[in-house]
Amino acid sequence: MEEFGLVISVVYQFGTNAAFLLLCALGLIVILGMMNIINLAHGELMMMGAYTASLSYQAGLPFPVCVAVSFLVVGFVGAVFERLVVRRFYGRELSALVVTWGISLLLSQGTLMVFGPFLPSIPIPGGSLDVGAYSLSVYWLILIAVSIAVVVALAWLYNRTTFGLHARATMQDAAMARALGVNTGRIYMLTFSLGAGLAGFSGALLAPTASIMPFMGQQFVAPAFITVVVGGAANVIAGAVGSSVLLSLVRTPVGFYLGAFLGLVALLLAALIIIRLMPNGVSAALLRWSDRRAQSG
Amino acid sequence: MKYLALLTGPEDIGQSRLFWIVFVLLVLNFVLGPLWMSEFEASNVSYYLLNLPMALGLCLLWGYCGVLSFGQVAYFGIAGYLYGIIAGNMRGDPWGPLLGEVGGLAACAVVSAIFGYFMFYARVQRWIVPILTLVLALLLETFLGQTAGYQWRVGSVQLGGYNGMTGIPWFQLGDFTFFGYSFYYYVVLLVLVSYLGCRALVNSHHGKVMLAMREDPLRTELLGYDIRARQLAVFVIAGVLAGLSGLLYVQWGNYITPSQLGLVQAALPVIWVAVGGRSKLLAVAISAYALNWITYSLSSAGNQYALVIIGGLLVVVMLFFPDGIVVTLARNMNRQALTRLLRRPGRS
Repeated sequence: MEEFGLVISVVYQFGTNAAFLLLCALGLIVILGMMNIINLAHGELMMMGAYTASLSYQAGLPFPVCVAVSFLVVGFVGAVFERLVVRRFYGRELSALVVTWGISLLLSQGTLMVFGPFLPSIPIPGGSLDVGAYSLSVYWLILIAVSIAVVVALAWLYNRTTFGLHARATMQDAAMARALGVNTGRIYMLTFSLGAGLAGFSGALLAPTASIMPFMGQQFVAPAFITVVVGGAANVIAGAVGSSVLLSLVRTPVGFYLGAFLGLVALLLAALIIIRLMPNGVSAALLRWSDRRAQSG
Repeated sequence: MKYLALLTGPEDIGQSRLFWIVFVLLVLNFVLGPLWMSEFEASNVSYYLLNLPMALGLCLLWGYCGVLSFGQVAYFGIAGYLYGIIAGNMRGDPWGPLLGEVGGLAACAVVSAIFGYFMFYARVQRWIVPILTLVLALLLETFLGQTAGYQWRVGSVQLGGYNGMTGIPWFQLGDFTFFGYSFYYYVVLLVLVSYLGCRALVNSHHGKVMLAMREDPLRTELLGYDIRARQLAVFVIAGVLAGLSGLLYVQWGNYITPSQLGLVQAALPVIWVAVGGRSKLLAVAISAYALNWITYSLSSAGNQYALVIIGGLLVVVMLFFPDGIVVTLARNMNRQALTRLLRRPGRS
């Protein structure tokens, strides 16, 4: 029974780490895969999600509704950014990085000026679950389930809907997709909005586990960036899942034995070594592997 | 003569005789400055100047080489902290500060070489370099922020957590200590040497290869240049220049805090370079000086809008002046001068 509890605890640690990385990075990787742009305001969009959740929670809405509201609100904000600023920078990836950084500074300082240094936090829903000598947080178990559900939903969106078909066509060859009648401008706007919405959604979900402050986004960006760098842009779902699983394999033991900070350092070192081996990320390596298997089999 | 040609070459603003006369007058203005500046004003001017090497390094990297880094402040911090540790432990030794300076710059070179090796020899995509360098800076900030308490000390120097390292010694050579006017001259000299060195670099053969890599890395490689090694070399130079700024900063203020490596500070070099115009060294030097002066005045007035102004400036410049304000102005000035010359009657 004791060993069983230990195994469960290790699996749980691993699951929470993977779910955290996945939630932090999903919105970023959706945008990167489509437009080859890293949205540096990602952390601030997560912060906006947390703020929306906190404000609507205080207004008396139940927490799941707050999360949905955050998704919609931040998704809309993302669409506005795309129309006003980001779409002028397609094809100039470095300039896009710089301009989204400017937006991130504006958002965090603007939030500080409008809402003050912090908002009331949201209590963690769900209690704890005892397995042997270990206790697990029900909320984190829910988050693991939610992140799996989001990945499934994204896979459905990209592989089973007309939007997904057009999006994949645009990713492969935007000029050809346009020639065949796909409105690529609309696809870009919807994808950016979806990525922003996912950031808001994750921010709202992670809000109960953090204190809600204007600069809270900063704690999410480092893990999110590392996950995206390791994942690569070749395939959104393969990149996000492959990279967060791989990285939590590194982070779980290091974080467990040496503390949370060294866990983060180990992530950076792992990322350096992984990109040295797979310069285009885990997703490209996975795709190549599956291609080769399809050819030989 | 050959070396003079490197300075007057085409890859920076200003080739005319008039330009060099103005340039020499400007340098003279800085040299003679202490005649009319108080020691306090000279110290402020040293502060505006001391960030120039970091800006110039980023300009080389981004504008001339096409490699963007968001983490130049990491080297700023590494050099500053290491100088504090070495010079602080050798307090009383007349050559301690010089050793600290050499150690700080060497550490920057080593860290940037290791970090750059993994990125450039993997031939990663362009967007990965700024992201990973930013993560490096953020991790260093997090690490230094949690070093409060007595157990975090190196020799007799405490790292000091979020309050930072204080009481860092002045720079000294032998028995001569640099502060006040002498520190001002020391900064002016180092900044001038950095600028002229960068200018000679971009006009050299290596500079041409840098431009070629920016325009088309694949074609440059097919012409027989090892772009990995050359990108790495520029990355190391930029790291050392950022380290130089860090050294001058701690010698100027005698303290450094982890927030010097934070997200906000990391944005500043990018803004100096973007506002000036990344394709010209002199434009970057001018904008870095001007923006440092503005932000210093704003922040010492306790202005909470400083960040909003900086962020807004960045967005506006990227939207409306993609080549940078100073570069756009310089180009228009040249064009106006040209049209005036052409319109002059009697010259056809």
